[in-house]
Amino acid sequence: MGTILRDLLRTNLEFRCGLVLVSIVIAMAALSLFSPYPPADVYVVPPDVPPGSTYWFGTTSRGQDVFWQLTVAIRNTLSFGLLVAVLSRLLALTIGLLSGYKGGWIDRVFMSINDTFIVIPLFPILILFYFVLRDTMTWALLAVIMAGLGWAYDARLIRSIAMSLKTREFTETSIFSGMSTREILLHEHLPYVMPIVFSTTMNNMNWSIGLEVTLSVLGFTDINTPTIGGMIYWANQHTAIVAGVWWWVAFPVGLIVMTFVGLFLLAVSMNEYIDPRSRLARTGGGE
Amino acid sequence: MTTELPLADVKAPVLRVRDLKAHFRLNRFGVVRDVKAVDGVTFDIARNEIYGLAGESSSGKTTLIKTIAGVIKPPLEMVGGSVQFDFLPGYDAVHRAPAELVANVRWRHLSYIMQGSMNVLNPLRRIGAIFRDFAYRHLDGGDAMFEAAVVAHLARVRLDASVLKAYPHELSGGMRQRVTIALATICRPDFIIADEPTTALDVVVQKDVLGMIRQIQREIGSSVLFVTHDMGVHAYVTDRLGIMYAGRLAEEAPTREIFANPLHPYTKHLIASLPRIGDETRRQSLEGHPPNLASPPPGCRFHPRCALAMGICKTTAPQMVTIAPGHRVACHVVAMGAAA
Repeated sequence: MGTILRDLLRTNLEFRCGLVLVSIVIAMAALSLFSPYPPADVYVVPPDVPPGSTYWFGTTSRGQDVFWQLTVAIRNTLSFGLLVAVLSRLLALTIGLLSGYKGGWIDRVFMSINDTFIVIPLFPILILFYFVLRDTMTWALLAVIMAGLGWAYDARLIRSIAMSLKTREFTETSIFSGMSTREILLHEHLPYVMPIVFSTTMNNMNWSIGLEVTLSVLGFTDINTPTIGGMIYWANQHTAIVAGVWWWVAFPVGLIVMTFVGLFLLAVSMNEYIDPRSRLARTGGGE
Repeated sequence: MTTELPLADVKAPVLRVRDLKAHFRLNRFGVVRDVKAVDGVTFDIARNEIYGLAGESSSGKTTLIKTIAGVIKPPLEMVGGSVQFDFLPGYDAVHRAPAELVANVRWRHLSYIMQGSMNVLNPLRRIGAIFRDFAYRHLDGGDAMFEAAVVAHLARVRLDASVLKAYPHELSGGMRQRVTIALATICRPDFIIADEPTTALDVVVQKDVLGMIRQIQREIGSSVLFVTHDMGVHAYVTDRLGIMYAGRLAEEAPTREIFANPLHPYTKHLIASLPRIGDETRRQSLEGHPPNLASPPPGCRFHPRCALAMGICKTTAPQMVTIAPGHRVACHVVAMGAAA
């Protein structure tokens, strides 16, 4: 792993840019721990102050410091994306590996569920969830719902790899030596799909953060937890752009764009690393 | 002709195969086709012997050993006969015994050196982890004892303990093959099935690896079923040799005997095809192809290619008859010659 990161840093421009962007975003999120004001409180500072030396990113019409508000918001948004990614990866790995390895009726049952999740439109369903749950809809519950909707593509991808691994001779030898299905999947097959999982994790985070921001901007989530989308929602509520409080919208949007681009670049460089052709070119084996 | 199948004189065999039939049942659009890959094979393997199985490609060697090992997946089906191991009493095939029992027997009593060492070793696992995956559950004792046992066993195949930290691609082909042999023998199994373990190696490494298999086999006193189409390997390593043709045993005898005095016409061709130093005559090749096992010829399966074929060969399948002590052959012509 260490050598992979070193190789990527040395040779891959996308990876370097992505790493810098994501590091800035993570540093912002870490600063939230030092926030002088509780994140949910309003009118703690004078409202509508433009960016300056006292309030770096200005203050909102609700009397919040945009900089410190942003640190908490990006922390929540990032951890939301991470939680969705981890949960949906667990689902995708379990279902993909099991379905590909076992085959037969297990495969058929899992894949028909899987295909259903691939074709249903997610956005209306998420809005439906909000209207059904209303006040009980929390940040964590939304993450679980999104994870439940976001595993299907990757489960199919992992299944296709597991199907080919199943016919390899080392799998047969493993079965012959008396390894259980769980051991074969964990020890023998999981290492094969991990690079793909790393790469899809970033894409999945982008997807879930994007959806969360969309829902929050429209007010279809728990608007009392500060998130990037939540900040934009409140800015819109106070017609910040019309009132000339542009910094209330610009900084959250800028930061979330940085997050997207950073994660995307990391995923792209990972993909390139996994791609056998570029790997061959790198080691000189393709010549 | 007696109903009792004549057998080589094997006392207390480890493996007893009786009239084994394993077919590939193919069902395509309602048409069932039986490919009779193994069709009535009978033999015994004694303790502490290396039994060779020879035959050309598609003669059913691999199907036979898969059935013996109990690695049976559709469309392969065992349709008749029995496979009895002395460490698995009371069951007439490995795959018919209860799963927990089989899990205990495998690797500890019955292990398998598979074809193609690169594919047997998971390329993403270090050798040490592979040993742990395959053998840890079968050896008693804790981590330290296991480690010591692995290192000691690797020394037997002249490998350094440092290979445990290596990935398979970092080892040479010969080293990898020695790792797979060490893997298959670490639990000192009673019975080892070796499926072309040296096919991909050059002759120098091959000789080395064969020598090790033989040495380890002598040390731990196990029996080996050694499968390859390479007659030179058989001559070097096996004690007894069975010749397969089209899913049946054609001839079986001690290895020296079969090379010195082959009786079955097919075996004769096989031995005659081997190059000899000093002999510069052109080798005779056998006309025709091995039969399609989905619709094998009636009678003796070799008769379409046999120069000695008689009327009876086209109608009746020959039985195995003992010609000399330990030398069995399935051929009408040879049986008649012996009777006369």
